[in-house]
Amino acid sequence: MNELDYLIIVIIVMALSTYFTRLIPFVLLSPGRESSILNYVAKSTPPMVMMILVVYMLKDINYQSYELIYTLIALTITIGFQVYKRNALLSIVAGTAAYMFFVQI
Amino acid sequence: MIRSAVKISLPIMFGFVPLGIAFGLLFQDLGYPWYFASLMGIIVYAGAAQFMAIGFLSAGLGVVEIAMSTFFLNSRHMFYGLSFLESFGNWNIRKLYLIFGMTDETYALLTTIQVPDGFIKERYYLYITLFAQFYWVLGCTIGAILADVLTFNTDGMEFAATALFVVLLIEQWIIVRRLLPFIVGFISSIIALVFFINHMLLTAIMISIASIVFMRLIKGSQS
Repeated sequence: MNELDYLIIVIIVMALSTYFTRLIPFVLLSPGRESSILNYVAKSTPPMVMMILVVYMLKDINYQSYELIYTLIALTITIGFQVYKRNALLSIVAGTAAYMFFVQI
Repeated sequence: MIRSAVKISLPIMFGFVPLGIAFGLLFQDLGYPWYFASLMGIIVYAGAAQFMAIGFLSAGLGVVEIAMSTFFLNSRHMFYGLSFLESFGNWNIRKLYLIFGMTDETYALLTTIQVPDGFIKERYYLYITLFAQFYWVLGCTIGAILADVLTFNTDGMEFAATALFVVLLIEQWIIVRRLLPFIVGFISSIIALVFFINHMLLTAIMISIASIVFMRLIKGSQS
C-alpha cells in the first residue's frame, strides 16, 4: 500500500466513523414519538452543552501566568459587548482582537 | 433567506477559518498534496478529529484504531442529534446533510438562534450548515496552500471559538431562563475535569444528561 492509498483509506474511514456518530440518534429514535423525558432532555441539552464547551475551552489556562489575566479581559470584553449590544459578531471580533493583542505583545 | 443565513453564520466563520488554516498548515507538514486538506474538510468535517488525524497519519496508525478513536472522539455528537429529532423533517438528502454537518459550532448556533418569521426552518438550517462547512473547507485549503508563504501572525486567534461559545451561552440564558441546566452543565464539567480529563467533553455531556434524566424521574415519581 503506497502512502496516498493509505491517506485516502484513512480519510474515508474517518468520514464514515464521524458520520456514524452523528447519524445514530436519528436512526435509533424515531421523531414524533411522544416522550416527555426525551423532550425534556432535548430542551435541556443545549444550555448544558454550551456550559460544558465553555469550561472545556478554558480548562487549559495556566493559572499562574498572565494568560489568566488577559483571558479574563478578553472574556469580559466579549461578555460586555454581548450583553449590551447583542451582536454576536461584534462580541467575538472584539474579544478575539483583544486576546490576540495581548498574546502577541 | 440566504443573506440572513450568511449574516447569522458569520460568527462561525471567525472560528472556523483560523482553525482550518491551523489545520491546513499542520497537514502540509506531512507532505501530501494540499487538496487532501480540502478533501478532509469536505468529507470528514470534524475539527478535533482532523487534528488528531495528523498524528495518526504521521505515525502510520492502523485503520481499525483510527476508526475507533474517531468514533470515541466524536461520540459526543450522538447527543447533539437529540435536539433535532423533530426539526430536521423527513428523511431526504437535506436531512442527511444536516446530520452530516452537526459539528460543535453548528449545533451551538442552530440550538440558539430563532428562525425568522416566514422562513422554512429546515431550509434555513441547511444554508447555515452549508456556509459553516464552506468556512471550514476554505480555512483548511488556505492553510494548506499558503503553508510556506503565510506571514500573518495568527497567534491567539483560537480565542474566537471560546468567544463564540461564550456568546451562545449568554444567548442560551436569554432563551432558557432556568438556572438548573447551567448548574448541571457546570458541575458535570468539573467532575469530568477532575476524573476524566482525557475525555472531558464526552464524560461531561454523559454525566449532565444522566443527571437531568435522574432528576426528572425523581420529580415525576413524587408528583
